[in-house]
Amino acid sequence: MLKLIQNEWMKLWSKKATWIMAVLLIVILLANAGITKWIESTSPAPESDWQEMATMDMMMYQDQLQNSDMAPAQQEYYEGQAAIAEYRLANDAAPFKIESLQQQVLDGHMMLSLVTLFTVIVGAGIVAAEFSQGTIKMLLTRPVNRWKILTSKYITTMLFGLVFAILTFVSIALFSWIFFGTGDGVFLVWNGSEVVEGSYWAEALKLSALSLASTWMIGTFAFMLGTVFRSSSLAIGVSIFLMFVGVQLVFLLQDFEIVKYYLFTHTDLTQFYTGFMPISDITMTMSLIVLAVYFLIFMLISYWTFSKRDVTA
Amino acid sequence: MSNEKIVEIRKLSKTIGKKQIIKDLNLDLHKGEITGFLGPNGAGKTTTIRMMVGLMKPSQGDIVIGGKSIRTDFEESIEKVGVIVENPEMYKFMSGYKNLLHFARMHKGVTKARIDEVIQQVGMQNRIKEKVGSYSLGMRQRLGLAQALLNNPEFLILDEPTNGLDPAGIREFRMYLRKVARENDVAIFVSSHLLSEIELLCDRIAIIQNGELIDIKNVNEHQQSRYYIEAKPAEQAKQVLEEIGFTVHPHENGYLIDTEAEHIPGAIKLLTAAGVDLYAVQPHRTTLEDQFLEMTGGGEIAQAHTK
Repeated sequence: MLKLIQNEWMKLWSKKATWIMAVLLIVILLANAGITKWIESTSPAPESDWQEMATMDMMMYQDQLQNSDMAPAQQEYYEGQAAIAEYRLANDAAPFKIESLQQQVLDGHMMLSLVTLFTVIVGAGIVAAEFSQGTIKMLLTRPVNRWKILTSKYITTMLFGLVFAILTFVSIALFSWIFFGTGDGVFLVWNGSEVVEGSYWAEALKLSALSLASTWMIGTFAFMLGTVFRSSSLAIGVSIFLMFVGVQLVFLLQDFEIVKYYLFTHTDLTQFYTGFMPISDITMTMSLIVLAVYFLIFMLISYWTFSKRDVTA
Repeated sequence: MSNEKIVEIRKLSKTIGKKQIIKDLNLDLHKGEITGFLGPNGAGKTTTIRMMVGLMKPSQGDIVIGGKSIRTDFEESIEKVGVIVENPEMYKFMSGYKNLLHFARMHKGVTKARIDEVIQQVGMQNRIKEKVGSYSLGMRQRLGLAQALLNNPEFLILDEPTNGLDPAGIREFRMYLRKVARENDVAIFVSSHLLSEIELLCDRIAIIQNGELIDIKNVNEHQQSRYYIEAKPAEQAKQVLEEIGFTVHPHENGYLIDTEAEHIPGAIKLLTAAGVDLYAVQPHRTTLEDQFLEMTGGGEIAQAHTK
């Protein structure tokens, strides 16, 4: 199996397109940091008084807490945020500025949709391209069962996503360090009973890992489409379309029971830690179960079609 | 030729939709023997070959290679098989060497030394580090052969292997296959529509039509010795020949007689004595093409042949 993954990895990086994606990712992140820096230096925000902001935040959070129709995760989040804001005011502990390494790293997980995009492109093409190139004939006439070949391709796709996610994380840290440097401030967390100082690296990693669930699911979906339809353009098109429209559908469906079993209600696992939950009566456990079921269905369809298919072209 | 059986095709059938493409096909292949697989377009050659290499699943029946069933022990059965299916499509964005490395990793026990050995064998050492996209068709065919030989196969399956090769290339390829069959005791199964090519290459020919095997014959089987005689006036010549006792068949501008070489000088003397002018006397061999057309009823293959 290791040799098969090695093969897929070699083929993947022998393609120019893969290198272009890597360069593109770095350029986008560099541009993002550069633009933030440029805006800051040309029209500096009025020396904002963080105390004033914190006071406003605290009021807003407490206001939110009056809202009874809230998920436990959401409630905990707002309680924590209100407590942190209170603590900051009481102890004169300033938060990070946007233009600092720390805050950029903390927000880094939002850039992972780029990784999803590239993973979709790779996952959609990794099986489909073998068919369009005609190399599938060479690949399947080896003493290796088909399910092993498909597994090596799937693992390679996910490995690619992981490598790109790490690349994103490292680039953000590096570029924001170059452009902004480390800023002053304290990172605070609410541990359920009191406000304590926390590690922003650990928090950033946690949020990034949770964001990768969406990369994983959409990547798997694209992989399935590419395997079933043997057309990478179709698989890329449909997957990216769903990536944008799928989430919007959550709002359309929110009054129906079915929304709880809908994939895109659950793909964003960071929702349990960022307070923004379109559908409030779901839990982390439920999301993980729903994602696992979808994953199994996608895999089953992929393996079934790939191992049963007669190769004629 | 050890004549040991290496491949057994047993009651092989393939149905796609409602159409039965292959019907109850039985065939044995032996070590050291080159078997040609002939048939008109659409007879089921490619389907049969694809079932033999695992690209398609048989509907019924089985293929046993080296004692292992392709249905139940796919990996073991295909371990010692080398395959060239039509134009060998390689990864154009990688070098020839990386392509070979890629396929070598999919077999057990193919070492780097073996890869180099195969590269030497097909004479590609100078350009093996270049991208396959820059190769000519002939080079790609050679690389295709190289990948099929990596695992020291006991059984080689080739589907239209000489497509796109120039005459020198075809000749070289043919010599090479013969060598492999003899020296390594490899069984070779070649499908082609180039009848003359098959005739030169193969020891044995299997002919398929409408999904059924209609004949298996050895190529150099003793043929009835025939001579072609062209003489004028033709009528008189025919008369003389019939008087000698030959059976005379009209053929082109003259006649064919079934006889052995020793009777020819006498016949010539009698013909000249009778005042007939002789224009040609030559041994006549029916080509595979004639035999093939006779068996399959012509038509489609003729088109394929002129392509």
